[in-house]
Amino acid sequence: MAETLIEVQGLHAGYKGHAVIEDIDLSLNPNEVLCLIGHNGAGKSTLLKCMFGLLPRMQGNVRYGGGLTHEQVALVPEGKGVFPSLTVAENFDLGLDAAKIKGAERAARVDWVLGVLPQIREFLHRRAGTLSGGQAQMVSIGRALLKRPRVLIMDEPSIGLAPKLFQDLLGPIRALQQAEGLTILLVEQNVREALKVSDRVAVMKQGRMVWHGTPSELSNDRLMELY
Amino acid sequence: MLALQLTLTGLQAGALYALTAVGFSLIFGSTRVFHFAHGATFALAAYLFYAVEAAGYGFVPGLLASFAGAIAFGLAIDWFIYRPIQRDEGSFFTVFVASFGIGIVVQNLIGIFFGRSFVTITSPLSRAREVLDGVYVAPLAGIAFVVALICLLALGFFLRTTFTGKGLRALSDDPELVRVFGLNPRYLSAAAFAIGSALVVPAAVFTSMSSGLNPAIGHHVMLISLAATIVGGIGSIPGTMIAAFIFGLAENLSLLWFEPQWSEAVVFAILFAAIIARPSGLMGKSAAR
Repeated sequence: MAETLIEVQGLHAGYKGHAVIEDIDLSLNPNEVLCLIGHNGAGKSTLLKCMFGLLPRMQGNVRYGGGLTHEQVALVPEGKGVFPSLTVAENFDLGLDAAKIKGAERAARVDWVLGVLPQIREFLHRRAGTLSGGQAQMVSIGRALLKRPRVLIMDEPSIGLAPKLFQDLLGPIRALQQAEGLTILLVEQNVREALKVSDRVAVMKQGRMVWHGTPSELSNDRLMELY
Repeated sequence: MLALQLTLTGLQAGALYALTAVGFSLIFGSTRVFHFAHGATFALAAYLFYAVEAAGYGFVPGLLASFAGAIAFGLAIDWFIYRPIQRDEGSFFTVFVASFGIGIVVQNLIGIFFGRSFVTITSPLSRAREVLDGVYVAPLAGIAFVVALICLLALGFFLRTTFTGKGLRALSDDPELVRVFGLNPRYLSAAAFAIGSALVVPAAVFTSMSSGLNPAIGHHVMLISLAATIVGGIGSIPGTMIAAFIFGLAENLSLLWFEPQWSEAVVFAILFAAIIARPSGLMGKSAAR
């Protein structure tokens, strides 16, 4: 079996000395879609921030394996992950600059993202602050994909989106995951839709990991009990 | 003719206020640090230029010393004062009080080293000539206006086209997201302080060659900058620029009706009226974005 890409062991983390998540163990394997679910305040976003390196650990470890580097991990944050005063193209520019991608490769990456999410072409030169929730989410995912990441972490991409729009957004991402071997960690409140595209599920409750398995193992009764 | 004379003087003052106010707005908009000591940067830059020029080293060394001093001062305050306070989760008000205190310390140090009296650099360019019947303009006024416009246009170009410029606009929008993008907020914060501090230098140099200096000059300039930032819209550089020109003109045109000592009151009357009529400012976020 291929080496785990991200291994979380005994992780405690939080804010201002107060632990929000405690004793978390989680592994992210190559080419899988892992769905992390749980109520608001369960600590899902805190865990993602630690895994991405935005929040320091209080205890425990987050280890990148299989040759994975931080540059190969992209995060789509909760909410509108775009800078509203910049145009969509400028948001992309900034993402490419931050990833130190230069020359012809820049245009090639943008073309590739516009191939995956072609709707972005229509508003590429609009100010991101004028976009709808769905359009902004698409740009946020597009910006993350510009890194050509091996691991894509998405924090509640369905927030503010109609179910149909969310399905339209997940479709190309799932296709990309299967075609390119992308690994996805998806945090979602829209459990039904998220489980349809996931290979594994992990459930968090009150800052702790309470269950993990495959979507087929997670019966409705079990889900109600855990959630 | 007096109105035309005051309008020309007002445009020159407005251009110089715009440079200082835009510097403050850039720092505050990007970092959310209420850098009240920006006025001290102005005073320090002006007196450094005055010291080097008065010592006989000439204009260019004076200008370079002024730039070096202003940028170093801005970066040092960010690094040694604001960051430690923020690291310990000090509040907005803690930062403001620290900044206010630095302004007072610098003002007093300048008074100790250079005296409290009025000083100025005389230059042939500062001598006014009659350009129209009863209208006198010094070449320096025109040069100051053009230089200020070039600096402001260059800043606009920088913010639109460069990596650091776009990064500063991004930092102004959402500091947390800056880290998600993989940008370095510390570098961007330092860039905001360096560029914002450098912007005061032309204004400080032209002020030392025209209206002259006293240790409290930074305080007056800072009050105008603050008013321009609020009236223009917090974080909006074009708005701040327009407001600074309005204040420069208002301060001078008020002399048509009031004694000079009331000019600052006119500025603040405009500020209060603007806050009541449009709390988000001329081009504040709720109006412009």
